[in-house]
Amino acid sequence: MSDQNHRNVWIAVALVAVVQSAALAWMVAGRVALLKQGREMTVEVIPFDPRDLFRGEYVVLGYSFSGTGDTTLPAGTKRGDRLYATLKPGEGTKWDFVSVSTAYPVNIDAGHAVLSGTASDVWPNQEQGTVKGRIRYGIETYYVPEGEGHGLEQQVRDHKIDAVLAVNSSGQAAIKALVVDGKRIHEEALF
Amino acid sequence: MWSQKKRIERDLNRWRDAGWVTPEGETAIRADLAARGGFNLATVLAMLAAVLLGFAVMSFVGANWQDMSKLMRLSLLFSALWAATLASGAFFERGMDGFGHACAVLGSAIFGANIMLISQMYHMDGNAPDAVLLWAGGALLSGLVLRSGPALALAMVLVCFWAGWETSQRDEVFWPFLPAWGLVSAGFYWLGWRPGVHLAGLALAGFIIFFGYVWHGGHQQLAVTLVGLGLMAAAIVGDKLRPDLSALWPPALSYALAITYFGLMALQYDDNPTRPEFIGLALATLALTLAAIWWGLTNNNRGALWLGYAGFSVEIMSVYQKTVGSLIGTSLFFLVAGLLVAALAFMAYRLNLRRQNMESAI
Repeated sequence: MSDQNHRNVWIAVALVAVVQSAALAWMVAGRVALLKQGREMTVEVIPFDPRDLFRGEYVVLGYSFSGTGDTTLPAGTKRGDRLYATLKPGEGTKWDFVSVSTAYPVNIDAGHAVLSGTASDVWPNQEQGTVKGRIRYGIETYYVPEGEGHGLEQQVRDHKIDAVLAVNSSGQAAIKALVVDGKRIHEEALF
Repeated sequence: MWSQKKRIERDLNRWRDAGWVTPEGETAIRADLAARGGFNLATVLAMLAAVLLGFAVMSFVGANWQDMSKLMRLSLLFSALWAATLASGAFFERGMDGFGHACAVLGSAIFGANIMLISQMYHMDGNAPDAVLLWAGGALLSGLVLRSGPALALAMVLVCFWAGWETSQRDEVFWPFLPAWGLVSAGFYWLGWRPGVHLAGLALAGFIIFFGYVWHGGHQQLAVTLVGLGLMAAAIVGDKLRPDLSALWPPALSYALAITYFGLMALQYDDNPTRPEFIGLALATLALTLAAIWWGLTNNNRGALWLGYAGFSVEIMSVYQKTVGSLIGTSLFFLVAGLLVAALAFMAYRLNLRRQNMESAI
């Protein structure tokens, strides 16, 4: 092999490793920025059920603003569509819907919060022209150390659990910590 | 690749026995064949090892993991990625291409595992297919830059996985599959990696067949059939216009044939055609398979030939099972079809005879 070819192989290898590493670093950086700079809000968790094959153990978290079958979504919403939920503080750490829209709302009240999510289930009502459904915000999964999933799931079931979220200006949310009976557990380190 | 090599070796023995090839020539040809490599046991094992190691990394969420700081975990993930990629470079540089490809695949597998593990570390729970797309992008980059067909193959598999996942979330045709497919296929073409033709053909055939069930609420089998016919025509015209791409057109024709056949079968057996429609479709299917057999024989396209034989048999069995309204109707159908095929056989015999006469006259 010529010197030129030797050099080309190493340039190619470096290019692949650098670009792939940069993509991973970009994932981490985006998340760290969101956790660090996002506005903090504490929300009540409504329990769900756990476990996944690929990624170890986790608990599935539900929220008062995940939507029940009765939540009205904008007309014409299809599964997978992006939605923005405007929320207002309710009783305790509960947050209630103000509105659900397909674009980021303008003129939001200071006390309100906007979360961006996707329509995860939709039930269109042809006669009334309305759509009911549920929304996912990407904060429904919380990974826990192996073996702790079941215990945490019990806690979620028996006690009052809150999640501390970080929300940025485009409505993207991340879980910062879990709170059990007013005490923060599983506080996330940035690195 | 194997069959080609085997055939050359068989021909070589024949040519040597006939005295057309000198012993020196034979040795030189055999040396050249061996040097062209292809697959050997070591390469295949290395590739399997890469896949196993990739899965090992993916399931590496064990107990020790939790005791490490995030920074420690991240540096571990990045080191694994760099180690695999550097190893592929070292193997390519030494001319050990099989191991180089295996490490390129391993590197891309680790890239995907890292995406999953970082998602887990930071509780990311966004749109999962996006993560698969990012992974596919990493594998595509590795395949193109390191000129690794196997890494590109991983990219194609991931593109299919991504499109399938997205489709399952929205119940409509996921068009972004096509540009992604085109990009990876162009990579296969650029590398001249022959197995890529089959992977690309399979992926596209799967997409088009699936499309018939999803587009505008499904029942679009006629569109599938027409697209298949169009692709068959394109493969035949392409063969005439660009005979230099001889590795591409015969498999392309076979996959297009499979799409058309599938469309016709679905029109007959998934949808509920009227009896005259069903008979027309059945005859069209038989005509298609006969044409495929004819094309396979005259153009030495074994794929088309065997698809034709298999398609013909499956169609006959299916018609028999469905029965055209009544047993009398079915037997009439087979009688007419049988007579038509017999007539075709006679015509083929006459044509062949005339050609032989013309050749002997010259």
